Amino acid sequence: MNSQTIPDFLTRRHFLGRSARGLGTMALASLLAPSLFAQAAKPPIGSKGFIQPLHHPAKVRRVIYLYMAGGPSHLETFDPKPKLGELHGKPMPESFTKGQQLAQLQGQELKCFGPQWGFRRYGKSGLEFSENLPLLGDHADEMCLIRSMYTDQINHDPAHMLMNTGSIIAGRPSFGSWLLYGLGSETEDLPGFVVMVSSGRGGQMQPIAARQWSSGMLPSRFQGVKFSGQGDPVLYLQPPRGVERGDQRQVIDAVNRLNRLEHEQVADPEILTRIAQYEMAFRMQASVPDLMDTSREPAKVFELYGCRPGDGSFASNCLLARRLAERGTRFIQLYHRDWDHHGNLKNDIRLKHDEIDRACHALLTDLKERGLWEDTLVLWGGEFGRTPMSQSGNGRDHHIKGFTTWMAGGGVRGGMAHGATDELGYAAVDSPVHVNDLHATILHLFGIDHRRLAVRHQGLDVRLTGIAGEVVKDVLA
Amino acid sequence: MSTPALLRFLARLCIVAVPFAGTAAPAVDFNRDVRPILSDRCFACHGFDANKRKGGLRLDTREGALAGGKSGKPAFVAGKPDQSALVKRIRHTDPEEVMPPPEHPRSLSGEEKDLLVRWIAEGGKYADHWAYSPVQRPSVPQGDRSQVHPVDAFIADRLKREGVEPLAAADRRTLVRRLSLDLHGVAPDPESVEKFAASKDSRAWEKLVDLFLDSPRFAERQTQMWLDLVRYADSIGFHGDCTVSVWPYRDYVLRAFQENRPFDRFTREQIAGDLLPGATDETRIASGYNRLNRMSTEGGVQDKEYLAKYAADRVRTTSITWLGSTMGCAECHDHKFDPISTRDFYSFAAFFADLQEQGFYDRGFGENEWGPRLRLPSPEQKSELERLDTAIARERAVLEAASDDSLAGSRAAWESAVLAADAGKSLGWGIQKPAALSTVNGARLEAAGDWVRASGPNTDTETYIVRLRPGTGRWTALRLQTGTDEELPGNRIARNGTTFHVSGVDLELRDPAGSRVVDIARVQVSAASEGFPGSSLIDPDPSTTWAVGEGHSRDHQAVLHFRNPIETGSETELVFRIHHGSRFPRTAIGRFQVALSSWTSPGLGSGVPEDVLKSLRKPVAERGKEDVERIRKHHRTVAPELAGTWGRLAELQDQRSLLLGKIPSTLISEARKEPRVMRVLARGNWMDESGPVVSPAIPARFQTDSTKTAPERRPTRLDLAGWLTHPDNPMTARVFVNRQWKNLFGAGLSRVLDDVGSQGEWPSHPELLDWLAAEFMSPSPALARPGRTPHAWDVKHLVRVVVTSAAYRRSSVATPSLLERDPDNRLLARQGRFRVDAETVRDSALAASGLLVEQVGGPSVRPPQPEGYWAALNFPKREYVPGVGEELHRRSLYTHWQRTFVHPAMAAFDAPSREECTANRVNSNTPLQALVLLNDVEFAEAARALATEEFRRSGKRPETAVAALWRRVVSRPATPQELAVLLDLFRQQTARYATAPTDAAELLSVGAAPLAKDLPQAELAGVTAVARAVLNLHETITRN
Repeated sequence: MNSQTIPDFLTRRHFLGRSARGLGTMALASLLAPSLFAQAAKPPIGSKGFIQPLHHPAKVRRVIYLYMAGGPSHLETFDPKPKLGELHGKPMPESFTKGQQLAQLQGQELKCFGPQWGFRRYGKSGLEFSENLPLLGDHADEMCLIRSMYTDQINHDPAHMLMNTGSIIAGRPSFGSWLLYGLGSETEDLPGFVVMVSSGRGGQMQPIAARQWSSGMLPSRFQGVKFSGQGDPVLYLQPPRGVERGDQRQVIDAVNRLNRLEHEQVADPEILTRIAQYEMAFRMQASVPDLMDTSREPAKVFELYGCRPGDGSFASNCLLARRLAERGTRFIQLYHRDWDHHGNLKNDIRLKHDEIDRACHALLTDLKERGLWEDTLVLWGGEFGRTPMSQSGNGRDHHIKGFTTWMAGGGVRGGMAHGATDELGYAAVDSPVHVNDLHATILHLFGIDHRRLAVRHQGLDVRLTGIAGEVVKDVLA
Repeated sequence: MSTPALLRFLARLCIVAVPFAGTAAPAVDFNRDVRPILSDRCFACHGFDANKRKGGLRLDTREGALAGGKSGKPAFVAGKPDQSALVKRIRHTDPEEVMPPPEHPRSLSGEEKDLLVRWIAEGGKYADHWAYSPVQRPSVPQGDRSQVHPVDAFIADRLKREGVEPLAAADRRTLVRRLSLDLHGVAPDPESVEKFAASKDSRAWEKLVDLFLDSPRFAERQTQMWLDLVRYADSIGFHGDCTVSVWPYRDYVLRAFQENRPFDRFTREQIAGDLLPGATDETRIASGYNRLNRMSTEGGVQDKEYLAKYAADRVRTTSITWLGSTMGCAECHDHKFDPISTRDFYSFAAFFADLQEQGFYDRGFGENEWGPRLRLPSPEQKSELERLDTAIARERAVLEAASDDSLAGSRAAWESAVLAADAGKSLGWGIQKPAALSTVNGARLEAAGDWVRASGPNTDTETYIVRLRPGTGRWTALRLQTGTDEELPGNRIARNGTTFHVSGVDLELRDPAGSRVVDIARVQVSAASEGFPGSSLIDPDPSTTWAVGEGHSRDHQAVLHFRNPIETGSETELVFRIHHGSRFPRTAIGRFQVALSSWTSPGLGSGVPEDVLKSLRKPVAERGKEDVERIRKHHRTVAPELAGTWGRLAELQDQRSLLLGKIPSTLISEARKEPRVMRVLARGNWMDESGPVVSPAIPARFQTDSTKTAPERRPTRLDLAGWLTHPDNPMTARVFVNRQWKNLFGAGLSRVLDDVGSQGEWPSHPELLDWLAAEFMSPSPALARPGRTPHAWDVKHLVRVVVTSAAYRRSSVATPSLLERDPDNRLLARQGRFRVDAETVRDSALAASGLLVEQVGGPSVRPPQPEGYWAALNFPKREYVPGVGEELHRRSLYTHWQRTFVHPAMAAFDAPSREECTANRVNSNTPLQALVLLNDVEFAEAARALATEEFRRSGKRPETAVAALWRRVVSRPATPQELAVLLDLFRQQTARYATAPTDAAELLSVGAAPLAKDLPQAELAGVTAVARAVLNLHETITRN
């Protein structure tokens, strides 16, 4: 770690509070002898970032965040509401909706819209979710559904912001950037925070903004790197035309030699960082293509995932996520941007069921088989849910009062549903979990106390969880 | 942290700690020593926010502390730490009693506790927060007679007290480079460097400074920094992030800095340019400042919610930009650290409640439907527009004057003709399945059903050739219909971009007798963007195009009416060509079909609109009033008596559209008749209407007798602007000066640039900061440029004063002892070293290569960008289309700023998204930056052009060329060691390219710069490799 790569006041602030005089003895001790500290605590998973040592033992090293952009309907996926079916076509009881914010349904007559697909019980736990997710059902006993999620933002753009950064003000670091800042990266060859985006069949694709993986006011080395399915997998990865790897090596060698000569003159540590970054860039030019080249994966892997090499599908990205996990990437975020079902919900969500069922099943299976399960957290969810009321008789509008997110993997209790929405799936009534609470819980799994992962900005201690956030203890194994 | 860094860091601990450790420690200074601790550990619960105050105790004022809380016991007894509750509580060991409580994220250190104790022992004095006390010009320290420059006098005073020797001046080449990077944002050319290095003129520096201040580059650099603050961008930011035209505001800022407009006037024009008594186009353009916030077109957006978001955004931006105040924190609760209440927040927002705006912009897709805007025609455009408007009105009058009676005869004939054709089913369009499909540049056209779909190579220009064999018939018109396809990246209708651009069409009739061109008399289209009318399809000008708006994609149609019907036989072939040859590369139609009509006056959808046809089919007796009206109305559009007028009108309207497309427009402020009601929103909740209504007001803490407005008059944005630069306003000048200092030293005198409140940083040289603030507001003629009289709020004067100091000219190479003594350069014994901004990284490379096109102002441009970078954008779906020619090499200030996807090469170098006000860009050092400099086609092209230029100039002597290109980029001669490395690389690479001429040819054709076939290619490739290396150096992107 080289603190010079971060604005020095930011770094020191973080270590020391407002001034050198604010230095706590703990912090000083850990600075002087981080290895001693690590030995004393013997945490199974350590930190290479700005949190030294971890606030408590970590359960997971990495997260694979399956981000369903557009707002998946909880009512056709993970939250069975037979009562809503009974009321199908009838007016939505006003007691539910009075005075509530609506998006496109504002000012319209509100009618109940029953679940469009059936539900089934899976596994020993009998966890109930869509009949169209039978393969995922194999993992029911390891899945933890949070059926009582809620958020504050009813439109996509700000809701994505809140889900990714804990704030609706642009310029705040994203979730992955916070983790990278706090814990550092476990790979020297690949970015520690990778984003991939896939589209589905049918529907309208959600716009995704780069701020969703921005490092905000943290230095850009903590930002997510978007891997692309087309062109260069990482921007600017390919050398210019006519430049081969050997040529690139010679140029970089010359650059590094010259930079070292400058360093001899001016002793600026930034120069040493620069040299290291050129080496990393050079390694990435080999490691990223190697990561993306799935041609040596056996055929049964493609059968498992149901994809073809490099087809850019969600399933293919799930496979790449596993490869990234193997190589030490800490935060892997896969956007599937096709869940905004204002209309034609029944048919379109069926396509989504298909797109995620095999892919998620494959990912979970693969993680288990490769020994990655115990220290990987898989998180599935969107930026909000959808109304129990119909939109235009065949769809559902945006909904913030209740929706479902699920987790599986290290540190998470399986075969359970935490919290619940009311009988019509409108509002989270039992143990509601706010976005900030979800973030606090995930940081907890990484050994981080969310209240203590903070950076001073514009006079405030900015945190992923703002001034809120409670760890949801119920979901922890 | 590396070991040396750790050591330095520990050394720093010692120097800071020492002054308080000894017995002869200097007196405690409340603002410097105590306020930071109280603010950070205590104010959250014992501060300004009355709602969150615990135990009724506040410590942010002395009165509060002495009054004590609910217990009535004072927090401290002045001079008596032992009797002070505060001391007891901070030293308590019981977790129930100790302050701050254990759950507080940061506890008090031993030193901090001691400091608080000493402060109380010394009387527990408070002082006004430094940034809130009125700016009074401090007297310049007179310590050392040799320090004639006031800036140096302040710095020398502190250095002397600290016992630190400043470094000597940097060498002259470094100085020119520093000045150029700081003032112009681009590295200097070697000629200016050498000229200054060789100059014996004792006033050479001042002359250079004045030359630099006069250059438009100075304005460009200042504008870049200002645009970060006001979050200027070319797209709206939320959701679809559609484009918006507001670049004339950017050019206004450029003019203001170029003319050195006083900052108070600059402020007034932006905040209230529309309200000024003598408002002009210039001040209205400036008022676009108020409209630079993000906006949303997302379906389901509620006006009220987003108006609240925009209002809060404006408070955040305005307060940080001018006041360095985080007023935004008071949106949901009183400010924790600063004297800003929630009421202050909404009262401040109320200044802007008069703006005409919407929360939800319904059909804003690229059609400039973003509320009030100003068109900015040139005088010629203005008179041409007037001429067209008059002519259009004239033709309209002719249409209106034509009575229905006068058209009755032709209507009857038409009606029967329609019914006859309807019965014979010859009224509509016959879709033609192409007999053959081909293209000129390689795209693939494939027929599927009625449609033709394009795929394969997408070259800049392309012509589709569609061969039809309609069989025997007589035809009056051809219809081109475009279709949507989810797979098409260009808004679902085009192969690229946001729409298609068809530059022309032609139709050729071939039969055994020969071939002839079919004369197309006029074009009718279903939709066209402003500036891109349907008539472009048949006008002789290849630069005009037919294009449709960015809106929700749908099918579009163009009907080509033949001047005379054409006859075809069984052998006849019709060759229809669709040309895409405009300046919009790769924007060909993605999917289309072609149809023919034999009806005399076919319309777009069918020969006659369905509803009209329905009415016509009814027997006359059964037609209702509506039917009659519908028929009558439609007939007026096809009546032969009016055909000439319609034709002229269409032509005029197309001319008008073409003209409007060329006239720039910009968002401006316009006041509503009645300002919106502004309420205090409890916890920022826009749905809560219980809060009190507020009127515009500046924060109560800063109101003085002279800032008061008449009680019966509602204060306006003019009043706000007046207060921002009012002499009683303690913040604006300090904040501006501090940011200029940061630009010239790498860190502000107070390093927190966006917050001068309690949580900001006590300045390293408070007196210097205040002196500069005073000098900015009322300059001393003695320091002025010879022959000039500075004015109040004089930006160039301020910059001149700072850069003519000795402090500015010091070396930035710290000695080990200085590094240990003052690692953060708070004493200013040396200059700063830092990486230059994203824009400067690119502009300097372009300048060195000779590619840079220096043209001030104008619409934003699009340099190359990796393909697919915009793939995740939608509503509309679009692809980036790079510009052509000079647009590729303009300064980065003019690069199109897409808020959700900032140009990736700039983003890699920490360019902000400009979604929010940015006062301080972060400065990082990442592998992605290395990838940009190594691999981006723009930098490879710059290296190639630089190598070509120097190799040619050297008379093909590589050694000379390599040394010269180094000097051009780094602004100094290479050392022998450096030269050796460069030549090594040259030799390796030349040898390698000599054996791989194809690779050499590829490298030497990267980008758009001209090829250099006259030079030996392998050696040129070798020099190019060296140029790449030099453009990648740390030193190249460092200001030292």
